[in-house]
Amino acid sequence: MIGFLSILTPIENVLTWALEGLHTTFGLTWAWSIVALTISVRMLLVPLTVRQIHSMQRMQQYLPEMKAIQKRYKNDRRKQNEELMKFYKEHQINPASSCLPILPQIPIFFALYFVLRDFDDEIYPLYPQSDLGWLGFVPDITANITSDWSGYVLLTVYVASQVASTWFMPTQSKGQRVIFLILPLVFAFFILDPPGGTVFPVGLLIYWMTTNLWTVGQGLVTRGLRQKTTPEPVKRSSRTPPKTERPEDVAPLEPDGAEPTPKAAGQPRKVKRKKKKGARR
Amino acid sequence: MRYVGIAGVYAYRYTFGALFPATCKYHPSCSQYAIDALRQYGLVRGTILAGWRLLRCNPWSHGGLDKAEDQRLFR
Repeated sequence: MIGFLSILTPIENVLTWALEGLHTTFGLTWAWSIVALTISVRMLLVPLTVRQIHSMQRMQQYLPEMKAIQKRYKNDRRKQNEELMKFYKEHQINPASSCLPILPQIPIFFALYFVLRDFDDEIYPLYPQSDLGWLGFVPDITANITSDWSGYVLLTVYVASQVASTWFMPTQSKGQRVIFLILPLVFAFFILDPPGGTVFPVGLLIYWMTTNLWTVGQGLVTRGLRQKTTPEPVKRSSRTPPKTERPEDVAPLEPDGAEPTPKAAGQPRKVKRKKKKGARR
Repeated sequence: MRYVGIAGVYAYRYTFGALFPATCKYHPSCSQYAIDALRQYGLVRGTILAGWRLLRCNPWSHGGLDKAEDQRLFR
């Protein structure tokens, strides 16, 4: 645990430097500095989002086949998942999600926690009389969430934003989605009554809220983009082996006119796999 | 000793893992892979395998079926 905390020190320094910079050069209050910091971090991650949009578009081309797999193994979720993953690999589909981008958020969250917890002792004395409030109703963003009624308001907004952002993330099943809708509530109760008298500063909620709302906004924009663009059949034929699958390639548009179906859904997959392997090697 | 690592993974699952929707592009998921790897290869090698898996679970990889016992790092 001590080793983990010492890893955080450089991150804490960077966060402190960024917050102070935003505060002094742009004249932002501390709360808005946190918002600005969060947004800048998320903006750096936008290239990843662009990639995700591409992979989602690609995934939609294979939707009929993926649905067929899901139907075939609907009683065995494990098997269904495995088959789906095999299908991704075969067709070189890059699923939108991944674990790695989540990990940096964990040390940042902890580091911000320590920065805000020690804010009164370490940063505030350097900037006496600076504004610790937010939007005129939060008196002190370094105070515990439960110390003022505004904390409860922000906590409600946080839970709502968490639920909303969950809505835009790809999930495997309905059950999982339900779990992820309930968990923010559990987390909220944990914040309200933390064990061992831990302090949860309001600023941490501001960070969490901002990042969630960014996810929601991004999801809305992405959704719009996905509906506008129709995948080109030419692109697809370059990736699928020629001749053997060309007839299905130029498939008619679906009734809604959005996506051309790449292949007939009912076609046995094993045969196709053999063809693919033969063409690759 | 390996159970320390497994406990750590479970601690992650019920705290931070719970904050994010399941996002893994591999099967089994990274946390399950970590648990399997720790159980089969011990704390040190299991941690290395899990770390390598996490690095592979990036936006540029293709994901797919990837079980701990199929690893090729340690023989």
